[in-house]
Amino acid sequence: MKQRDDWHLTEILDYQHGRADPFAAAVRATRMPMVITDPGQRDNPIVFCNEAFQNLTGYGRDEIIGRNCRFLQGPDTDPAAVTEVRTAIEHGDDIGIDLLNYRKDGSTFWNALYLSPVRDDAGKIRFFFASQLDVSDRIEAQQSIAEAKQALDREVAARTADLEAALAAKTLLLHEVDHRVKNNLTMIGSLLRLQARGIGDPAITAKLEAMLERIDALATVHRRLYQSDDVTRFDVGAFAENLVSDVIGSSGRTDIRLEADIVPVEVASNQAAALGLILNEIVTNSVKHAFVDGRGGTIRLIARRDGDHATIDIRDDGRGIDPDRVEPDGLGRMLITRLARQLQATVEWLDAGPGTRILLSFPVQA
Amino acid sequence: MAHHPRAPLGVLVVEDEALLAMDIEAMVEDTGHRVVGEGASLHDVVALDEALQPDLAFVDLQLAKGTNGLDVCALIRSRWPDTMIVFLTANPLKIPADFAGAHGVIAKPFSRSGLLSAMRYIAEGVIDPPPVSAQPSSFVAAPAFAASWADQA
Repeated sequence: MKQRDDWHLTEILDYQHGRADPFAAAVRATRMPMVITDPGQRDNPIVFCNEAFQNLTGYGRDEIIGRNCRFLQGPDTDPAAVTEVRTAIEHGDDIGIDLLNYRKDGSTFWNALYLSPVRDDAGKIRFFFASQLDVSDRIEAQQSIAEAKQALDREVAARTADLEAALAAKTLLLHEVDHRVKNNLTMIGSLLRLQARGIGDPAITAKLEAMLERIDALATVHRRLYQSDDVTRFDVGAFAENLVSDVIGSSGRTDIRLEADIVPVEVASNQAAALGLILNEIVTNSVKHAFVDGRGGTIRLIARRDGDHATIDIRDDGRGIDPDRVEPDGLGRMLITRLARQLQATVEWLDAGPGTRILLSFPVQA
Repeated sequence: MAHHPRAPLGVLVVEDEALLAMDIEAMVEDTGHRVVGEGASLHDVVALDEALQPDLAFVDLQLAKGTNGLDVCALIRSRWPDTMIVFLTANPLKIPADFAGAHGVIAKPFSRSGLLSAMRYIAEGVIDPPPVSAQPSSFVAAPAFAASWADQA
């Protein structure tokens, strides 16, 4: 052991004096701070340091030689990074790592440490060679970028929270308005129903009931709109099926069947009320007039969409078109005509022999 | 259900909006059934005669005096376990997934045709389950209850 130390230390002492060996002279003179430690001695002390290392750390050579490198660590040095270095030394591995180190005056710098073992011919580790580089500028730039990113993240989070709060307030308001509309529609319906009950004149009762059905149709449109996921879209096909089954159901007729063959036909919500009213006129008319005098049958409902065009096809196998039939309420036809014009829709009454076929065609936005 | 009541059904209407209560009661009578009691709040239902034994109760969710339909539902279940309970509400999403033990819901605003077809369907289910009519879109049966009808089918 003693012999080995002598062999190396002699050489190093020669290097210190810069005699003869150009490599030693280069290590001494380079601006890259460097140290050599001797793991053969207790606590792996520094046995050589160059001038750049003294300049970097602020310590003099006599304060450095003989000490373990850990004297550069301080309170804010990351213990995990120190453990990595110690493990590398124990295993005889290379390591490159950034460490927060302390100068003699207590100031700190980021040290990019590169440490490698130096082995003899037999493979035994004789020394560790370490170079240091002050990379404080790079680390601080990284930290300030990270801080800027965190500040931005915080700002985005705050902004998102604001927007979410605004959305929640709007949603609450929408629900409140929806609730009021529903309540009012329910009360209008109740008022009309109650009024209709006390009237003895069948003609007036029929008019009031037709009016009730229209209010009911509007209520159903509203309910479907606000129970759907998207209040801006309205599925006319599903509404029509809903309407026909409700009208058949309330008639108490078990001899009228519904056969529905529908696909989703979505229209903008501002067309929903008009379409709902047109369908209501068609369907209530069918149920009231097609199946009379004990005649039962089937209503077939077909909803189709072809690009920017949709059709609702309602057929019954009832008694068929009666051209002389006088509407008990002339408002029905007028509503269909005017609302169809508003929607740029067409309504055709066709003889389905037997029964009647009504074809409602209208444009839809793609 | 332990027993199957016969028509006309005795119906309890719990609704705080007077107009709606009148309207619902009128429609119940239009379908040939009988209104046996009414109330606008939980307190009104507490005050009802124990012997009332309604076959069916329509219960609004938001009731007068800060009371609610879920509590009324619990009271009816403990007092008259055989009574079928149907919520009437503009806010069906507020009903818990298990319907708090109730049997179904009718969404407001209901239409005359919607309520009448629901009434007919429910009556079939109460008197001689399972109902023979197709379930109307105006009525949603509670999952547990719909399953019990499926068992009897």
